[in-house]
Amino acid sequence: MIITPKELQSWIKQGKNFTVFDVRPKKEIKKNPLSKLDSIAGELEEYKEIKGIVVLVCQIGLVTESMIIQNELFDTYSLLGGVEAWTNFIKEKNDLSRWSRQTILDEIGFEGQKKIMNSNVTIIGMGGLGCPAACSLVASGLGALKIIDGDEIEVSNLHRQHLFRERDIGKKKVLSAKKRLESLSEHVSISAKDIYLNEENGYDLIKNSDIIIDASDNIATRFIIDKLSKKKNIPLVYGALYKFEGYVSIFNVNGSKGYSELFPGTAISSETCNDAGILGMMPSIIGNMQALETIKLIVGIQPNLVGKLMLYNGLLNTTQIIEL
Amino acid sequence: MIKIKIKCFSQVRYALGKDEIALELDEGTTSDDLEKMIREKALGKLENVTLGIAINKKYVLDDTKLNDGDEIAFIPPVQGG
Repeated sequence: MIITPKELQSWIKQGKNFTVFDVRPKKEIKKNPLSKLDSIAGELEEYKEIKGIVVLVCQIGLVTESMIIQNELFDTYSLLGGVEAWTNFIKEKNDLSRWSRQTILDEIGFEGQKKIMNSNVTIIGMGGLGCPAACSLVASGLGALKIIDGDEIEVSNLHRQHLFRERDIGKKKVLSAKKRLESLSEHVSISAKDIYLNEENGYDLIKNSDIIIDASDNIATRFIIDKLSKKKNIPLVYGALYKFEGYVSIFNVNGSKGYSELFPGTAISSETCNDAGILGMMPSIIGNMQALETIKLIVGIQPNLVGKLMLYNGLLNTTQIIEL
Repeated sequence: MIKIKIKCFSQVRYALGKDEIALELDEGTTSDDLEKMIREKALGKLENVTLGIAINKKYVLDDTKLNDGDEIAFIPPVQGG
């Protein structure tokens, strides 16, 4: 079983009877002591002599989780995120253990997680790309998300827009998406705009955004989004689809190229997803790539797709990177 | 003569029915010349499609002279989301 730092603290406040058992080597305990938590340390054999509820603690919470499974331990909890999550919780009164599987990554860490939680992202289009991008960003702990789309849910959307259910058909996309996303995380603030973005309303809609995600489905809107991104100096994470292929890029970061430099003047494409067809997995892949690039931008992870266009082909299993 | 390879993406791939095409071209052929040839090969299927061009994985906007061994990618704008 798992217990979070927040839950453990509430046990302490309630006066619940339990023992904290630190399984780390003595050298590591000395280096990173467990603060504000009475504990005993030792080997697994010593633990077995303890009666009652036990909370096992290791450095990042992974050793104790596998100990419980491998030894089929009862009445035993593993502290999620381990000493690192507990120490951060005590220091900052903010329980980040929910994201312990990503904070243990050197590239993310607690500092990266805090940046994600303090970020404000706007997604334009809550269709095939917008649904997976929103879902992954909210799950990753994003602080604020604005979703913009004036469309309603149709039965033909359901094979690729997995935030929606059969009972949602006919409802507004952004309202159903907001409800589902809020049930995924209590940590996110979601603003749903039931409107299509255009040149007139665009500036108001994207203001205060740290990053814009283009998940729209037509070239005219893509040009408007690019213009807004340039004008307001807000990075734009671009994604687009055609049958088994997808394009991903990050536009307009410190003067890097944007959509209008890719297709100067005008761009004409003959088919939409509705005309050309699309397999449901493709928008999930490309939308998640957009979410990944968004997280990399927020945290400051290199390399990313600034100044590059990635072309993915799901039929041929190929990826090409074009330098812009 | 120069030998080049064309990588086909999205509508270009479907219009020509191939993922890659190898061609021998006259010395001095440019990217604009090649684009015209590709449009002719597509028999009108790319008539209403804008084409971006990359040479050796570098996007180019100006008409560029092609060299032996170049790899050219035609990249149409796609709009699906």
